[in-house]
Amino acid sequence: MSTTELRYRRLTPDTVRAMIGSPDPMAKAKKLDRIDAYFHRFIAHSPFVALATADGTGLPDCSPRGDYPGFVKVLDERTLALPDRPGNKLADSFHNLAENDGVGLLFLVPGVREVLRVNGHAYPSDDPDVLARMQVEGKAPALALIIEVAEAYFHCGRALIRSRLWEPESRALADEMPSVGEVAVGQLGLAVEPALIDRAVQDNYHTLY
Amino acid sequence: MQEALIERIESVARRTAVITLRRTELPLLPWEPGAHIDLSLPNWLTRQYSLCGSPTDPDRYRIAVRHDPLSRGGSEYVNLFLRPGRRVRISRPRNNFPLDGARGYLFIAGGIGITAILPMMRAVADRPGTAATLVYIGRTEEAMPFVGEIRDTLADRARVIATERDGRPDLAELACGLPADTSVYCCGPAGMLDACGAAFPPERLHLERFRRAEKTFAPDTPFEVVCARSGDRVTVAPGETILDALARAGRPLASGCREGVCASCEVAVVEGVPDHRDDIGAPAGRMYPCVSRSVSARLVIDV
Repeated sequence: MSTTELRYRRLTPDTVRAMIGSPDPMAKAKKLDRIDAYFHRFIAHSPFVALATADGTGLPDCSPRGDYPGFVKVLDERTLALPDRPGNKLADSFHNLAENDGVGLLFLVPGVREVLRVNGHAYPSDDPDVLARMQVEGKAPALALIIEVAEAYFHCGRALIRSRLWEPESRALADEMPSVGEVAVGQLGLAVEPALIDRAVQDNYHTLY
Repeated sequence: MQEALIERIESVARRTAVITLRRTELPLLPWEPGAHIDLSLPNWLTRQYSLCGSPTDPDRYRIAVRHDPLSRGGSEYVNLFLRPGRRVRISRPRNNFPLDGARGYLFIAGGIGITAILPMMRAVADRPGTAATLVYIGRTEEAMPFVGEIRDTLADRARVIATERDGRPDLAELACGLPADTSVYCCGPAGMLDACGAAFPPERLHLERFRRAEKTFAPDTPFEVVCARSGDRVTVAPGETILDALARAGRPLASGCREGVCASCEVAVVEGVPDHRDDIGAPAGRMYPCVSRSVSARLVIDV
């Protein structure tokens, strides 16, 4: 961290350990070094994964990836493949992976409180057999991320229970959020109607593959 | 749309599962040999599978699904994750591969292509005055579903060829000995269909594909689609499908494979000349807007 003087009191790892207690031995045992049948079933039903990478200096970045359930392919019990669909072309994840191949994945299945975490090392590939498995509507992505699994485990459901993430009433929070157009106009100081931007964004969302 | 219950899942050959679908409240719709259904899977994918049970059974459908090593998520899901007891949505049976009423039939099935062929062979095998032969080709017998059943019921009218043991069959020889008024029906992997296409006269040959054939077309040109019933007009840009353009205009149509194989999205053409790009072969006056485009600058369809 570059800050010379911290604004808040910083705790040592030992203090933190003393405060939260020792880990449950079960929590350690549930970590596997491969994708077993239960993890495979979870991935096969997951339409969303958060992909964390970090650059050479260690600065991390977390990027959302989503598609039909099972869009992340289990190539074998040590290897996953994630399609690179059209996005904002910033390629932050690929830029990071060129400097630091570590990745962290967090898979969600709608309605399930537990999440699956997979950590490992990744590289981009255009292997035709891998891309063929990612065809949607006859279109294959140009790139896939190959992930070599180092560890995989289920994470308990408390975060999702507390966050009420899957409860339909939680969607009312969206009513309190400004639209993309309103944010863009505000942040960039644009002199256009926010609805115009919203419509353009909506049209753009029609091209998903 | 129909509903069915996954009653049983059995492994019948290497990497191949037979799924028995049982009726729920309503009887299952009748079908003709060669027909397929769309099966909507829990992972949001819809896939087409040929019916391979008895066409007269209103209580059960049977399909067989081979786990493709290059699965995009359909056959992998059916073989690894689908469970008995689940209710699934299926389409009404559709037949892009009907028997044509010839006096003789030569059926050629490659691997899992047997699912479409088997009910056709059964339907004509005992028809008086009809000669029917089945040639069933696979790599090894362990990988070929229904071999026992076929030997038991069809005996010498079926030739089972395991290419690792017997080598490849000589299609040219089969074509030479083909009696007059005999139709050839072929369902199997792309390579086998290409070989059949080269060996048999096109007017007697019927092909059923698993996936769309690799074809090249003239560069896309933009055209206007007019919806005859709603009056909507939309321009279809190069690289865009009619389905996408209609969805963008707020008029989505029902569709299945979106690859020109399954016929779910069939529409009637009121005016204009379609540029057919499907693998089904649209009946006169109809087209498949998932892949087909327009030769004329304006295309009026019945939606």
